[in-house]
Amino acid sequence: MTTPDRFDVLVIGAGIAGLQSALDLADQGFSVGLVERDPSIGGAMIGLSKVFPTLDCSSCITTPKMAAAAHHPNITTLTYTEVEEVRRDGEAYRARLRRKPRYVIEEECIGCRQCEFACPVEVPDTFEGGMGARRAVYIPFTNAIPQTAVVDPDDCILCGRCVTACPTDAVVLDQAPEIIEIVAQAVVATTGWKLTPIDAKAEYRGDKITNVLSPLQMERLLAPHGPYGRVLRPSDGKVPESLAYVQCAGSRDQTLGVPYCSRVCCMYAIKQAMLLSGSLPFADITIYYMDIRAFGKGYEEFYRSAKAMGIEFVKGKVARLTEDDDQGVVVRVERMDEYGQVVERKHDLVVLSLGMRPGEDLARLAALEIGEDGFVEVPRPKEAPCRTARAGFFVAGTATGPMDIVDTIVEAGAAATEASLYLRERGVTGSPSRLDAIAETDAAAASRDEVRVVS
Amino acid sequence: MSTQDESPRAHTMPAESSNDTPAGTPAVADTADTETPPPRIGVYVCHCGGNISDVVDVQKVADLAAQLPNVVVSRTNTFMCSDPGQTAIAKDIVDQGLDRVIVAACSPKLHETTFRNVLQRSGLNPYLYESVNIREQVSWATAAGADATAKATSLVAAAVAKAARLSPLEPIRVDTTARAVVVGAGVAGLRAASDLARAGIEVALVERAAALGGNASVLDHLFPSEEPAGDVLTRLVDDVLAQPRVTIYTEALVESVSGYVGNFTVTVRQPTHGLVLDDEARRSGAAAGRFVPFQGYVFDAARGGGATETARAQRVGPVSGDASGDAGALDAEAPAATVEIEAGAVIVAAGFDHYVPRKGEYGYERIPQVVTLPDFIRWLSSVEPGAGLPDYDGSPVAGVAFIHCVGSRQAEGINKPQPDGHINEYCSRVCCTAALQAICDVQAKRPDVATYDFYQDIRAYGRGHEEYYERASKGGTVFVRWNDQEPPTIAKAKPGDGPAALVRARDGLTWGEEVEAAVDLVVLAVGMQPADVSALVDSLKLPVGADRFLQEVHPKLRPVELSVTGVLVAGTAQGPKDITETAASASAAAAKATALLSLGHVELDPFVAHVDATLCEGTGACVAECPYTGAVELHDYPDGAKRAIVNPALCSGCGACVAVCPARAIDLAGWSLDQYEAMVDAILAGSEAPAR
Repeated sequence: MTTPDRFDVLVIGAGIAGLQSALDLADQGFSVGLVERDPSIGGAMIGLSKVFPTLDCSSCITTPKMAAAAHHPNITTLTYTEVEEVRRDGEAYRARLRRKPRYVIEEECIGCRQCEFACPVEVPDTFEGGMGARRAVYIPFTNAIPQTAVVDPDDCILCGRCVTACPTDAVVLDQAPEIIEIVAQAVVATTGWKLTPIDAKAEYRGDKITNVLSPLQMERLLAPHGPYGRVLRPSDGKVPESLAYVQCAGSRDQTLGVPYCSRVCCMYAIKQAMLLSGSLPFADITIYYMDIRAFGKGYEEFYRSAKAMGIEFVKGKVARLTEDDDQGVVVRVERMDEYGQVVERKHDLVVLSLGMRPGEDLARLAALEIGEDGFVEVPRPKEAPCRTARAGFFVAGTATGPMDIVDTIVEAGAAATEASLYLRERGVTGSPSRLDAIAETDAAAASRDEVRVVS
Repeated sequence: MSTQDESPRAHTMPAESSNDTPAGTPAVADTADTETPPPRIGVYVCHCGGNISDVVDVQKVADLAAQLPNVVVSRTNTFMCSDPGQTAIAKDIVDQGLDRVIVAACSPKLHETTFRNVLQRSGLNPYLYESVNIREQVSWATAAGADATAKATSLVAAAVAKAARLSPLEPIRVDTTARAVVVGAGVAGLRAASDLARAGIEVALVERAAALGGNASVLDHLFPSEEPAGDVLTRLVDDVLAQPRVTIYTEALVESVSGYVGNFTVTVRQPTHGLVLDDEARRSGAAAGRFVPFQGYVFDAARGGGATETARAQRVGPVSGDASGDAGALDAEAPAATVEIEAGAVIVAAGFDHYVPRKGEYGYERIPQVVTLPDFIRWLSSVEPGAGLPDYDGSPVAGVAFIHCVGSRQAEGINKPQPDGHINEYCSRVCCTAALQAICDVQAKRPDVATYDFYQDIRAYGRGHEEYYERASKGGTVFVRWNDQEPPTIAKAKPGDGPAALVRARDGLTWGEEVEAAVDLVVLAVGMQPADVSALVDSLKLPVGADRFLQEVHPKLRPVELSVTGVLVAGTAQGPKDITETAASASAAAAKATALLSLGHVELDPFVAHVDATLCEGTGACVAECPYTGAVELHDYPDGAKRAIVNPALCSGCGACVAVCPARAIDLAGWSLDQYEAMVDAILAGSEAPAR
């Protein structure tokens, strides 16, 4: 397969923001190169259970956008590909991409999973937050796109069983990374976010206490197709009777270098609490918080329903977490709503409401200006939030700061508008099969060159 | 017959949908008497990753479906909407020669289009597809077990019966006018207007006020960038004025909207003779203006400047009745100008109004020193920095109390309903940071003034917002936390006491201590309420949420679209937003409008009513029953009879007409009576047989 090397727009990151921007641009007839560092498109959203405030299942909203992007005639997706550098090249941008070896020939793999079934190695499944197992060669998750296997060389013992099992001889264990360069007239960076590390706050011992989970792990436990198919605590498989959320565990905390609010944690905690009270009707659920920031459309109403459902909200900053003898987690908290007294309360399972950090260093990658918080700074944040200081370079979603999915999708639409206007004003016009059009122009130019050479 | 049928149709139906598509005619008619091979139906049952399969035995549903007549393939998949799921369908269409596809999964609202596209990609007419909702209507609504499985099976059987009677349909093609009406010229409207114009779309920008800029005009400077509001608004207005495709109407109200996507007629009235600034008027200098703090971007012409003469009323499209014409803007005696603007899309960017506290609410209008946050911002902008206390209304201000959530996060039984019976349960999103910004400004200008902040939760959520909270705290502001069941109370201080008011609350940050602050000013951080868009809501039947803001189709799938195709929402007309979020949503709405209008035509679903002229008796029962103006009308046929004619672009396919037609002359494409009867039969057959 030859990958086109020229696009109207390069979209960096195929999470929900990148998918939306790519689709909006492609629908307007612009050709899009959509680059994703993970083996599948879909970003963080595809791993979530249900999403606030509508409680739609997350897959149900993400998969159609993934499939639409994958099938769009104007979109070329490059998965498992790192953008190493984006630099100016005349009026355009030139990106150096590193295609990481899958050790599987993408065009040959039919997604039959025979390699996966043959592999003798079992390692913790990263998609499932380390809970549950996957093989050393695996298709990332059920609804991954592409449905192409990938070998993790760190886990592989080179036994060769996958090579033998593959009906299309697609597994090639000596693949090397490939560096390619592509040129685009405009760039949209939707590089997303990553979670504050679970061990960031030593007092919470998130890395040491087994039954202290990250919110993304809880998302997987709540997903109907998650690792256990139900909510169990990881240490012993007990059905938890008492669960707690520690808010601002990775945000609004200067000791973590994350002084800002991550915008989504209040709402995801409330949402998870509501889902938990559905799947564990007899469990007690407590949310320890500083301020409940239910500021979006329908969010305050959502918060009220949670209170009405009996979820306990305790105003107080959690000082520390410890593990007791039967693997419970003891929360030490100063209860501001109870005369400021310090109490210790035991829970079976505790989720740290971790915050959002920038997913990529765009200063290094693309010479964009970034703030002290590491997120991209734009010169006109009020009226043009997606326009960076570099002409033709746009940003959307959590690359510019913490943001929920609703705001991210809207901003991705705005970035697509910015990019399309930039292209139109430079005489680039879209067409339903823009890639073919570019190829034809190239062919015409090439034949002109040939003619010139011959004559 | 053909003359009867075609002549009225040709001029009432838009674009090409008139004669050459089967949308208006049942395609079964000509296949009835020819040998047609039986349909080949594929049934696909989705697990939805457990959302369905935890409750419904999907394999059993698929197995039972396989035994139904005409079903060639029946499968299950973890996620039918995922790529592997879609590929399985596409493969079967080719390999098994399927000509009908049924997916039993979630609501068709989510994925009907997804699966139609699979059919299209595989060379099948996309309307040979049928959805069965076994998630919202079965697994989420029925207890797990045999009943749920039986219910799903029965619905699938109905779909199989219907699918056998499906016929290929073609979308209705409607020509579009490459012009958008943008209602409101605040941040959202200005941003949307310039984006649309830059994309080649004509724009009519309709503003109710004389000045442009909307509510951002009443701000002094904007958080968190601290830019003066005037700078941002001036840039936005300049961007719009630079676009020859934009015509601006000031002091203009939308009276009504009729029509449908691509072909709306927006009636705009300028009762006070506002300006009409088109490109010509602007080039003649009529658009000269400037930003006036707390008023907005004001045109010289609106202030009786010399350029008024050139700011002529420019008619766009046909002008109704008493349109004032050229001199309208000049002559105060002339009747109000009314224009009808033809547009392909409408962007509602009407914004918000600040909540106005009721008399006596927190002492408002009873104690003169109780003011709203916008009033306070304006007063503070006139205070010079320095030592000592500033004066408000002739008295020194030693202490200021800020009350959050005035008109927001209201509680039933605690807050008195407004005259329309509503309370505002929602959070207005910006008031926390706006109040904190004002506190920081007071501290910076007059450090001697004591500040008190009465709040429920500090929602300084945005980038750079938390810093205001931090600064206010470090600057010595006393924070008092109340809860929605016990809002603070304000009492007028006795004359001669010194301070103007006493603010009391039970403080959740201590031990529930009763605290009292004696202050000289009380600032109410008032929330947002949607601006009045009732003319639009009424004439287009736009959906409004419980919070009274416009309700988007889906917050994630279609966040800037309203349920009426071609009508989009931008900014705070949808719900509280800050300026950054408003600008982003305006651009997103502009993108959708551009996509709709840039091709010159749109395609609509063909599920509309059609009349069999040979059966129609012209009773007019359908016309009387139809809830949509102009969707079905009686027309005179050349033979002297009256018969009903449907305008497919206005018809919503609700079927009300079908139910009342005494002659069974009117039917819905894709949802015909014949198909319904087959579905009902299939369900009844299932319930009689011991299929469980």
